[in-house]
Amino acid sequence: MSPLWSAQMIAFFLISLFILACAVMMLSFRKVVYMALAVGGVFIGCAALYILLGAEFVGIAQVVVYAGAITILILFAIMLTNHEATEPEEPWTVRKALAAVGCFLLGVTLLFVIRGQAWPQGDPSVDVNQGMSNTLAIGEALFKSYMIPFELVSLLLTVALVGAVILAQQRKGDQ
Amino acid sequence: MVWWIPGFPLIAFAITLLVGRRLAEPVVAGIAVMATLISFVLSTILLLHPGTPGAVTQLDWLTVGQTHIGFGMQTSHLNALMAFVVSLVSTLVLLYSRGYMAGDERFSVYYQYLNLFVFSMLGLVLSANLLELYIFWEMVGLCSYLLVGFWFFKPEAALAAKKSFIVTRIGDTGLFAGIVLLWLASGSFNFDAVFQAAQSPGFGLGWLSGSGLITLVAILVFLGAVGKSAQFPLHVWLPDAMEGPTPVSALIHAATMVAAGVYLVARMFPLFALSHAALTTVAWIGGVTALLAALIALTQRDIKRVIAYSTVSQLGYMMMALGAGAYAYGVFHLFTHAFFKALLFLTAGSVIHALGGEQDLFKMGGLAGKLPITRWTFLAAALALAGIFPLSGFWSKDAILTALLAGGHGILYAVGLITAFCTAFYIFRLYFLAFAGTPRDEALYAHAHEGGWVMTVPQVVLGVLAVMAGWWNTPIGGHPIERYLLGDAGTSFFAGTSAGDIGHVYPENVLWMVISLVVALAGIGLAAWMYGARADQRAAAAASAAGPLYRVSLRKFYLDEIYESSVVRAGKWLARIADGLDRFVIQSIVYLASRMTYAAGWGLRLLQTGQVQTYGVVAALGLFVLIAIAMLRGGVM
Amino acid sequence: MGGTGAIQIPTGSILALGAILFCIGLYGALTKRNLIMVLVSIELMLNAANVNLVAFSRLGVSPNLNGQIFSLFTITVAAAEIAVGLALLLAVFRVRKTTEVRDLDLHRR
Repeated sequence: MSPLWSAQMIAFFLISLFILACAVMMLSFRKVVYMALAVGGVFIGCAALYILLGAEFVGIAQVVVYAGAITILILFAIMLTNHEATEPEEPWTVRKALAAVGCFLLGVTLLFVIRGQAWPQGDPSVDVNQGMSNTLAIGEALFKSYMIPFELVSLLLTVALVGAVILAQQRKGDQ
Repeated sequence: MVWWIPGFPLIAFAITLLVGRRLAEPVVAGIAVMATLISFVLSTILLLHPGTPGAVTQLDWLTVGQTHIGFGMQTSHLNALMAFVVSLVSTLVLLYSRGYMAGDERFSVYYQYLNLFVFSMLGLVLSANLLELYIFWEMVGLCSYLLVGFWFFKPEAALAAKKSFIVTRIGDTGLFAGIVLLWLASGSFNFDAVFQAAQSPGFGLGWLSGSGLITLVAILVFLGAVGKSAQFPLHVWLPDAMEGPTPVSALIHAATMVAAGVYLVARMFPLFALSHAALTTVAWIGGVTALLAALIALTQRDIKRVIAYSTVSQLGYMMMALGAGAYAYGVFHLFTHAFFKALLFLTAGSVIHALGGEQDLFKMGGLAGKLPITRWTFLAAALALAGIFPLSGFWSKDAILTALLAGGHGILYAVGLITAFCTAFYIFRLYFLAFAGTPRDEALYAHAHEGGWVMTVPQVVLGVLAVMAGWWNTPIGGHPIERYLLGDAGTSFFAGTSAGDIGHVYPENVLWMVISLVVALAGIGLAAWMYGARADQRAAAAASAAGPLYRVSLRKFYLDEIYESSVVRAGKWLARIADGLDRFVIQSIVYLASRMTYAAGWGLRLLQTGQVQTYGVVAALGLFVLIAIAMLRGGVM
Repeated sequence: MGGTGAIQIPTGSILALGAILFCIGLYGALTKRNLIMVLVSIELMLNAANVNLVAFSRLGVSPNLNGQIFSLFTITVAAAEIAVGLALLLAVFRVRKTTEVRDLDLHRR
């Protein structure tokens, strides 16, 4: 099989298409709820891409955390605030035009940079999982080499949890 | 120990500054007097055991590159003598002020200023280098300003304060320029380093040879002394400074601060000794001042002004002595003068106090019966000033006259004799007008009374000193002060000098003594004849006979008017030009700058929309630009 | 697929996908008027970064797990961020009755 049309390539193109389509849909929808759903599509597409690249654990985590938790959280937030909210049809303001031009130019530049560079293609003989399953290997690494960052992140999560509860709490005096 | 001499007044200053307003008058005065008294005791110990002249205890103050500037205290015979005089007179005046200023609304502020002054003055006479001396020099000037303007609600006092400050500043500018030049040429502010550098053959700046530089610096330093010691032509501030409280006049404008100029010249004497031109200038300025001020004093009506002009005149005497090379005699006269002139002011203050603030001589009279202690102490001071044997003024004045004649300054000797005659005349004119005869103003006379013990004790102590201070330099005792002062020669205090350099001393000559005594007695006699018990008409007749001369003296040689129409008017024009420049040029530049800033701010305000997303757009564009630049340059490195 | 074996997808293509995703997210963050959507767009940008990390984990010069672990940390931090962000949003909504970004310009007033 030629490298261009291997199964992997086809899968990659399909996934990419899906991701970009969802992303563009997110931009173009007017209703906020639809936008949230479109973003869920992007997250799931990314998860597929991770699995395609051999990072099963990250892919599953992506589905659970992003596509599951975060999307649901966003939907809840929308419900709690202004669930009828829509993005009104907006005329092109200077700022919006500048943002579009800026993002486009930035993207083009990045693509040029990417094109102008010879990228490594990985070493097929190296097993990143060192013979274990991907989940096991990540668990080993997290609890050996990344012990302290791991604990710090757990602390961060706790703080964020407490902070979110305190911030979202209905306080006396708020009307 | 030396540090404590100025230290105690500083502590007293701090106390009165912090809590003075809440303390009762006796406590404030008590703290001040005690602190100064301790300083006096320490100064006396220092005077008796001065150690090695020129010894310095100092701290590192500033280090700029290779230059170390210290801040310290130097002891020597001259410094010890000065500290002794300053602390003694200060103690007495602070005590006296307790009575004189009693009941004043700003009593504690007055003591604050006085404590600060005593501290600065003691620091000045003990300074270890020129820069330190200059700082204290300005501080005593500041205190003088504050105290002259103490009753600032009187317009004359406020004006006099300004005048005293500005006029002395003219001199200070010269002193500062001199110090800077010395530093440029020698690289040091320390006295011994400066003196040694001045004597080394390589001394000089690129544009000025060694001897020229020495003369220039000496004249500049002398300019500072002229301002501070009220020498002609900058003497005009001192009589006006009499607007301050009388004890202040006694302390600052008679005994200590105005003598700082004389001290400065004495301190820098090795430098002056190297320049004949500078010494001659000093001598002649001193001579002119002595005569001019004595002539003006002849006709003044205000009791304090007479004494003020007398101070100017006596300071001229000291300068004359220094200029003639008689270093020891100049300082000796400073020493005796401090006592009898402070006493004159204190007695004058006592008279003014007794008369409820009246200062016009022609409203006084017959006070001898009412104020016996004041009368006798005044008489002692007057006799000392006139130079009557064997009071203190006689010895010092006669030593100067002898030095002038023996040193070959014939004209200056004549000037000195005429001045001595005038001095004797005006001081006894004052005595007869105030104390003798019959009261001219009954209401004032009836009210008159002696001040309390705080006022009479200092008078008596100073009276004793006015009589006896001169005995410390008589041929009988072998001239102790002279020998004491000359002990500084050749030490690190007066680096590189010998006794012959810093002071010419001359044996007394009985004939010359008799001449000056006769001259003084003649002055007293004339005063008695004109102003004595039955002589009012004679004075008026003499005044009209002298005609224009009388008016010239009364109007102080029109010097104030001359300054007013020349210097002051030119200054005002200059100020007007500067004002115009400031108003139209500088102000518009400032206005333009402010407008530009404002416009820029207004423009920038548009960017500050408060919209996070706008900021984000700008940041994204910035990121793009950065990446584009990195790409075009082929990498970030 | 596992952890070994050749991957035929060119690295550049994955990076390009990440770059485009990033720019779309950026555009959304800069133009969306609803605060929730701005937050969501930021998540998109984080995802773009994750794509790159995972790609380099496998296709880098020396393949190893670090990239994947980094992306896990990113996911965790993103979850924390969105939780706090939405809590803030709720608090703001209670006070100001709006979720529009343009109304949140207290900074200016």
